[in-house]
Amino acid sequence: MLKKGLLGQVIQHLCCLPGVGPKTAQRMAFQLLQRNRDNAKALAEILLKALAEIGHCQQCRTLTEQTLCEICADPARELALLCVVESPADVWTVEQATVFKGRYFVLHGHLSPLDGIGPDELGLDALEQILAKGEVKELILATNSTLEGNATAYFIGELAVKHKVQASRLASGVPMGGELEFIDRVTLLHAFKGRRNIE
Amino acid sequence: MICDAVYEQAGFILKQRQYRETSLIIDVFTQDFGRVTLLAKGVRKAKSKSAALLQPFTALAVSYVGCGELKILTHVDVLHAALELNGLALYCGFYISELILCLLHQYDPHPDVFNDYNCCLSTLASATALEIEWALRLFEINLIEKIGYGLQLEYDFMTGLPIDAAKNYAFNIEKGPYEDALGYLSGVTLQVLHAKTLYDAKVLSEAKLLMRRVIDVYLQGRPLKSRQVMNQIIKRTHNV
Ligand SMILES: [Zn+2]
Repeated sequence: MLKKGLLGQVIQHLCCLPGVGPKTAQRMAFQLLQRNRDNAKALAEILLKALAEIGHCQQCRTLTEQTLCEICADPARELALLCVVESPADVWTVEQATVFKGRYFVLHGHLSPLDGIGPDELGLDALEQILAKGEVKELILATNSTLEGNATAYFIGELAVKHKVQASRLASGVPMGGELEFIDRVTLLHAFKGRRNIE
Repeated sequence: MICDAVYEQAGFILKQRQYRETSLIIDVFTQDFGRVTLLAKGVRKAKSKSAALLQPFTALAVSYVGCGELKILTHVDVLHAALELNGLALYCGFYISELILCLLHQYDPHPDVFNDYNCCLSTLASATALEIEWALRLFEINLIEKIGYGLQLEYDFMTGLPIDAAKNYAFNIEKGPYEDALGYLSGVTLQVLHAKTLYDAKVLSEAKLLMRRVIDVYLQGRPLKSRQVMNQIIKRTHNV
């Protein structure tokens, strides 16, 4: 199956993209090289440009080609609210799904003691510096709902206490449209522990 | 080739890493078969029911099949609700998991160590800082003993005399304690470690030094990552 030569290499590199298997990679390669050569050229150029120019926002560390990303540069965004997420993709997800009007801080990972990833590796100094400025009043910890994500949130929560900033964690529980019968036991247990009064 | 079809085996996930787009490779410490490595296929899909269950420090019942080093996870269920480990207790949990990963071979059954691991996690979930320290030392001593390197803590190996609570000792990892006025271990600490009974802060700090040296010898120079991370965390949260 594995073809040699340039075409084979193109297919192999397309294969490393999420959701792309060998068949799809093959179709993509032929599309780009046969029927859509102008588009292929534009894609190659924009990828190179993006790779060269996109770095991390100086403030929130999300991906941007500017010094400050659009969100950090937006004066309408509230300084008092800071949402901590694991990845730049999470910033997009939260932006699209919520009406959050504060700013973000991207961790680029989570605490992972068995991989040797601690606060230093996550660069939490930068977060502490933001907290120390005193502008942030509430920290929303939107790390993943995994053990490591929770550990990360717990630790950052402790930093927040140290800097006298209120911290909250995203609720975890029954998903919308979720019928109890089909929910796993762990999620259901969390939903029970995190139950709320009906207002 | 080791071919297996194991049904509802009690186990804890020690470590997991992502594999391809939707799968995980998990290191599980099972009760009867020791450390096994399992491929959990498709569990990172949005609708997967197993993702929530496949977390460390949760007593699971795992079923798996396969030949060779990597088996396929076929079913997983929760044996009892996850322990709530937070802060220091959680990092200690990672630490004992790393000890298992580093000091036990794959497919080497150790039901006794499994039992200790289970007990130690329960202690971590509900103990004070001092109790946690003691639980870790007991876990380390028992682990070293059960993998065949038990420490001799009973007598001075040079003189053959029992340990004297009033004296100080140095320690040879293979042979045991020997009297040394400048040694870092008090007789009391050795007696306590041997009897696995009462302890106080002094015993704990001496025991920590001893066990760190012992474990470092058996790790043969490999650094414990969880220990480094734990030190960072303690530094950040306690020294304001
Ligand atoms: Zn930004």
